[in-house]
Amino acid sequence: MMELPLGILWFGAVIVAMLDGTRRRNAVLSIVILASALVSTLVLGADVYRNGTQEMVVGGWEQGVGISLRIDTLGIIFAVLSQAVLLAALVFETANGIKARIFPALVLFMGLGLTGVFFTGDAFNFYVFFEIAMISAYVLASYGETPRQFRSAFIFIVVNLLGSMLFLISIAALYHTTGRLDMVGIKAQVPLVAESPIVLISATIFVAFGVKLGLFPFHFWLPAVYTGTRASVVAILSGALANIGSYGLIRFGADVLPRELEFGAPVLLILGAVSIVYGGVQSISRHSANEVLAYSSIGQVGYIMVALAIGGEAGVFAAILYTVINGLNKALLFLAVSMRGWLVGTAFAIGAFSVAGVPPAAGFLGKLVLFQAAIEDGSWAIVVLVLLGGGLSFLYMFQLYRRRFWIAGEEEEESAHLPQVIVVGMAVGLLLIGLWPQPLLELADQAVLGIMGTDTAP
Amino acid sequence: MTTELYKVSARILLLPTLLVALGVMVKGYADPGDGFSAGVIAALAFALQLMVFGPGELDRLPLIRYVPYAVFLGLIISLLTAFVPSVMGQTLFTHWPPAGDSAPRFGTLEFITAVAFDVGVFLIVFGFGVGVLSSFARAEGRMRTSEERVARARAAEGEAGNTT
Repeated sequence: MMELPLGILWFGAVIVAMLDGTRRRNAVLSIVILASALVSTLVLGADVYRNGTQEMVVGGWEQGVGISLRIDTLGIIFAVLSQAVLLAALVFETANGIKARIFPALVLFMGLGLTGVFFTGDAFNFYVFFEIAMISAYVLASYGETPRQFRSAFIFIVVNLLGSMLFLISIAALYHTTGRLDMVGIKAQVPLVAESPIVLISATIFVAFGVKLGLFPFHFWLPAVYTGTRASVVAILSGALANIGSYGLIRFGADVLPRELEFGAPVLLILGAVSIVYGGVQSISRHSANEVLAYSSIGQVGYIMVALAIGGEAGVFAAILYTVINGLNKALLFLAVSMRGWLVGTAFAIGAFSVAGVPPAAGFLGKLVLFQAAIEDGSWAIVVLVLLGGGLSFLYMFQLYRRRFWIAGEEEEESAHLPQVIVVGMAVGLLLIGLWPQPLLELADQAVLGIMGTDTAP
Repeated sequence: MTTELYKVSARILLLPTLLVALGVMVKGYADPGDGFSAGVIAALAFALQLMVFGPGELDRLPLIRYVPYAVFLGLIISLLTAFVPSVMGQTLFTHWPPAGDSAPRFGTLEFITAVAFDVGVFLIVFGFGVGVLSSFARAEGRMRTSEERVARARAAEGEAGNTT
């Protein structure tokens, strides 16, 4: 039943959309739906882990004719990560009281879009699910419905529509040059066609996903949006939706167009390095909590770019791990920073350690594999860069921690209990991944194996 | 702006347009046309009513209040045609009857599951079109009445100011 998670989310989203989401009962229903989708994804994941990639061509058509669903370990990792972040944000918002009747349905639709993106084996179908997720995000960004939120939603919509359009154009161009829309087919056809159009297409795809990720030259929308929207929505945007960007770069870069990724590696390396330094320096100079974290996200995606630029199995392995850990970090930090209380402060500190790459938090693991990849590659410049970035992030995270949790604001009182429990649970999860990384490492290893074809040593 | 000619032709055109929409949907299995274009045509029929008569008059048409809910019905019908085969152990979107078999007929109309999917698409497009148009029209109407109220209040103030 490889389509079960999609089925649960799709029917669930339609049913919840008809109900009034501000009522507690309906919000709990949507939590149950999302949780059961997560469980079914985990069951499916166990099956994929044991028996390998699953594939189904819709409608009983032939391979290459019909739309295909193709679920490999990479897709499972991203689907589980995104659904878990969405679930945390949904429970968090339910505990704080949902203010718009459409909110739970939008979260489910976004879950559907993201899961579809990670499960599809067809480039155009990728775009369709991508748009389902993006449209939910457009509406979610205006959640709260104050002028400030509408302003940031407007920026978000305009910039990301441009990104989506670039992606659509590049899919059309891929179809035009290779004559295929299924990713397996495109991958097989690309070496046979002329190189220059494919390089142009790859550059366009890179820009499209760079916009989603908020990579350095395409980052301009990100701070305005992340500071304007509510905590749970920012957690969703940065922890779940941004995964489309890194997944897209790994899938289209490392899997479908590996030759072009290698060709563009110097560009990725430079942009990644600039992102790391720029994000770090900007974060230090900012004062509002969300702004610091927003610039921090710009810096953090730089590491993913650097990992992809290193390339090879070790590089892709590092990119996958870093994306997972970064998604969890950001979701935790954005939720934690909106609250008060010593428990939340501790959770925030764990998240801060994780961003800075201090053991035993999970972020250490991300930095470690990146180090290994860089050393394996023999590029000492990257090692220095990662160290520098780590130092910068240590600095701004603890500036923020001090401002937000040490200097007690008299007017603010401690937040409600349930949201605190969620944040602490996420922090414990980060610690667990840091202390017992074996399952995640093995999964990422298998994902790399699925993409690149040979084994890699973690 | 709205002359009698507009009003009469809008009223006369409503039912024929809906019939054309139905025709486009039905002939979609052998000729160009499908649920999507039928939905657009049907929604346009109501857009014309809205432009000529305004939202107040549109609301008096029978069942119009429930049209936006057709989106949900359509989505569920379309999703069912996708997912029911998967419950029965086939791949998603496997249609019935299978290729090569003859389908039950009613005149020239063939009953295949693809038709059910297309009816769902029709309902989504039609419900969305009418729902969006009428909610915009209502918002516009609200804005206009509140603007009028403000203008009237200002005028009244002005008069009061003149007399004193």
